Amino acid sequence: MSKRNVNKTAERAARAAALKAEQERKEKRRRLLLIGGVVAALVFVVAAGFLVQNLRNTTGEAATPPAGVVDDYGVVVGDHAAPTTVTIYEDFQCPVCAEFEKEIGEELNAGIEAGTVKVDYRMVSFLDRASGNEYSSRALNAAAVVLDIAGVDAFKAFHDDLFANQPDEGTDGPEDDELIAAAAAAGADESEVRSAIENKVFAQWIENATEQMSVDEVNGTPTVFIDGELAGSTPQEYADAIRAGLG
Amino acid sequence: MKQRIGLLARLITGSVWIVAGAIKLPDPAESVRAVRAYDLLPEAVVPTVGHLLPIVEVVIGVCLVLGLLTRSMGVISGMLFGLFMFGIASAWARGLEINCGCFGGGGLEEGASSKYPAEIARDLGLLLLSVWLVVWPRTRWSLDAVVFPPRAGEVSPGPGDGEDGDVEAQRQQDR
Repeated sequence: MSKRNVNKTAERAARAAALKAEQERKEKRRRLLLIGGVVAALVFVVAAGFLVQNLRNTTGEAATPPAGVVDDYGVVVGDHAAPTTVTIYEDFQCPVCAEFEKEIGEELNAGIEAGTVKVDYRMVSFLDRASGNEYSSRALNAAAVVLDIAGVDAFKAFHDDLFANQPDEGTDGPEDDELIAAAAAAGADESEVRSAIENKVFAQWIENATEQMSVDEVNGTPTVFIDGELAGSTPQEYADAIRAGLG
Repeated sequence: MKQRIGLLARLITGSVWIVAGAIKLPDPAESVRAVRAYDLLPEAVVPTVGHLLPIVEVVIGVCLVLGLLTRSMGVISGMLFGLFMFGIASAWARGLEINCGCFGGGGLEEGASSKYPAEIARDLGLLLLSVWLVVWPRTRWSLDAVVFPPRAGEVSPGPGDGEDGDVEAQRQQDR
């Protein structure tokens, strides 16, 4: 092999190496750009989704509460001067609430009538997902309409009626027409409540009431406070505590 | 074999994320309440986290199922499962009776604390699957293999066998 040929071979090898290095650089660049593009697209999707979720959450927007509520979200039943206050958080679709009502409802009503206790109902709605037709929020809206139009006593009768006839979770609850009939039975004028029930006029107030429960660190229903003190964690404990309070 | 286990890990973790996120998306107010119930974050960031989590979950899930940026998604997925386990364990330790909100919800659960161990165990399993994907991100039938094809000269196990070349790319990204 001549010297010239050796030089040529070395040159060729160097050129090939340079070409390979150049290709690798290009390949590396292409990968980085691709990854950058994919990451940017993902960030865009997350940001857009975040924005949409923000817009869809109407919690906290101004709402008109039904006439007669106390402290924005409380419905106080009984003599306001009664010595004991029982605060009850409930959802009309909540089965444990119905169980609790069945357990203590009558005794509580007797206490209310005797003037020894008043009940501050904090009705909320987060169980529409457990209903085939958004019964939870429609029932609460109907109760708010009854309160607004016919007063606390009609609300209380309507409330007790709904819990006594609660639909099972996962099924379709009573339709608006049935709620309107129940409202009439509780003492509200049917023609007055119809459009307000059908149009769900207190929807925003319900959103806000439910949010307020969460802000107040109440994370479930039923939750019962007696004179501001948490009264247990099960319907039985709540009922026992209320009995002791009624004593 | 590892690539097949990887595929399984991707599909399991990915579909759990998609389902968990998709259930929460329709009710942003509820996912905010679920985050608040843990009583771990300051109120100023609770709504942000509540609005962000479901969409992040869906995006991670879709990427995992497709096998896109597998290693990075495995890292994020594993970190989130770790955080969720911490949240549930902390709620348990503090005696809170909350619905974990893992798949929507956030209301009271009768005897919620009795569910905590199973929820933590589930998250631990999903965390381990995520870690697998961080250690072995090359998986069968991944989009990574298509988008980031193996370099010239690298041995490819053949069509459909998911050689992804993602490893090098990920290393560069992680730097």
